[in-house]
Amino acid sequence: MAKILIVDDEEGIRMLYSMELEDEGYQVITLADGKELLEVVEREQPDCLVLDIKMKEYNGLDLLQQIRKKHYDLPVILNSAYSSFKVDLKAVAADYYVVKSSDLTELKEKLKAALETKIPKE
Amino acid sequence: MKSVEENPENITQADIVVGIPSYNEADCIAFPTEQADKGLSKYFKDRSCVIVNCDNNSPDDTRRVFMQTATVNPKIYVSTPPDVRGKGNNLRNLFAKAVELSASAVVVVDADLASVTPQWIRNLAEPLLEEFDYVSPLYVRHKYEGTIATNIAYPLTRALYGRRVRQPIGGDFGFSGKMVRIFNETEDWTDDVGQYGIDIWMTTVAMRSHAPIIQSFMGKPKVQMPKGPAPDLGPTFAQVVGTIFDLMCAYDEFWKVVKWSRPTAVFGFGLGEMEIPPTVDVNVQGLWEKFSTGVEGRWDFYRSFMPSATFDKLEEVAGLPREAFEFPPVLWAKVLYDFACAYKKQVAPREDLIQGLVPLYHGRTLSFVLETEPMNTQQVEELIEDQCLQFEKCKPYLLERWAAD
Repeated sequence: MAKILIVDDEEGIRMLYSMELEDEGYQVITLADGKELLEVVEREQPDCLVLDIKMKEYNGLDLLQQIRKKHYDLPVILNSAYSSFKVDLKAVAADYYVVKSSDLTELKEKLKAALETKIPKE
Repeated sequence: MKSVEENPENITQADIVVGIPSYNEADCIAFPTEQADKGLSKYFKDRSCVIVNCDNNSPDDTRRVFMQTATVNPKIYVSTPPDVRGKGNNLRNLFAKAVELSASAVVVVDADLASVTPQWIRNLAEPLLEEFDYVSPLYVRHKYEGTIATNIAYPLTRALYGRRVRQPIGGDFGFSGKMVRIFNETEDWTDDVGQYGIDIWMTTVAMRSHAPIIQSFMGKPKVQMPKGPAPDLGPTFAQVVGTIFDLMCAYDEFWKVVKWSRPTAVFGFGLGEMEIPPTVDVNVQGLWEKFSTGVEGRWDFYRSFMPSATFDKLEEVAGLPREAFEFPPVLWAKVLYDFACAYKKQVAPREDLIQGLVPLYHGRTLSFVLETEPMNTQQVEELIEDQCLQFEKCKPYLLERWAAD
């Protein structure tokens, strides 16, 4: 069972995503901000990270840079209510960028792709 | 390969090599040489550096202009034999020279670059001194610039090898000493690679070698003579596409297991405001005529190797009026995959196959231009990303066709 880590400061989003993704058979863990993100990634070893961008005290794009320094193989889906952050070059480091919607079809599709991605290792 | 070498300071070792490939660039080469020198002096003053002009024995004054350009860092001139031309052959000489010099980092910039800055040298070299082996450029480009990269090289390499390198045939690159040795020892070298196939060859070999790759944001647009998608493609199209198809044949055991793709890191944030790239004018009528006249007389040829569903859709597209013309990316992906399979199976002489693809490329480019006309750069980039996803989603089609007898 793939483990998904959701980082979002909106409780409603965390609940919605948890319910829908658990229904899809994923194991879901959530964080309300980026404070302990690196520690949680180290400890929980998620298979994919769904990361909000505009949080009260944290910027998901900066968190992504920190994640990439140590965890380049971790698939990351940026998930924001705004599409404007796509312009930021830092967003290129994400596997996918999904604009938030109450319909999670695109998020689930990208999640599936991120988990299925296969590139031969050396 | 090397035929002529001029090394007045008898340089035998260099940490960083800047290579400038050229043919008849006497009017242009002084500028990138000066900028390379400034970049090396400003950012790498504690390292041993050298600037190498790798030339095709230019009959103009390229050699003299290069050697007489005032620089702090030493210079070396190398040339292919008089009858050997091509950027790839120049770089092959550079690879050998870089190995000889035990270089840790090699940067290549085109000789006709009008926008190269010292910062470019830093951005292409610095990641190589850390953990990366291959640096691909990320320029600010006009939406109609680089349509071979946008519609063929980027989506194909991404779907095949699973790495997202936006400008895999950008022309300016950086590679580590380890990567140079791999280039030097790789045997998949063809006549096309010796010409303009070299850029996609290097990028693909880097991907195939599992090299850590990074894209470097250059800040400024690449300014040369703008090369719009019409009216004349020249030999570049055949050399790039031929190299992609040749490497597909050589590396199929690798790309057949790749599924979807992963992002590639970016170096060079915070370079200030992006500059607006020069406008590229497109001759829409010219593209339309090249498409519609180019496919005439080739329908039997296309039918001979395309599945009927793909062929029928292509015929339907060709029947659309210009005002409503649209060549969908899914169809384009399948067409390219069919050509790659036909190339592998040699259903026709390979030169004829690639010439048969040219009008369809004009058609896809026309559709791209019409669709993106009202869009800004960001919207166009999103459309290009979507096209890449279509290529990735259609990969099972390629796998099935590739395996078929």
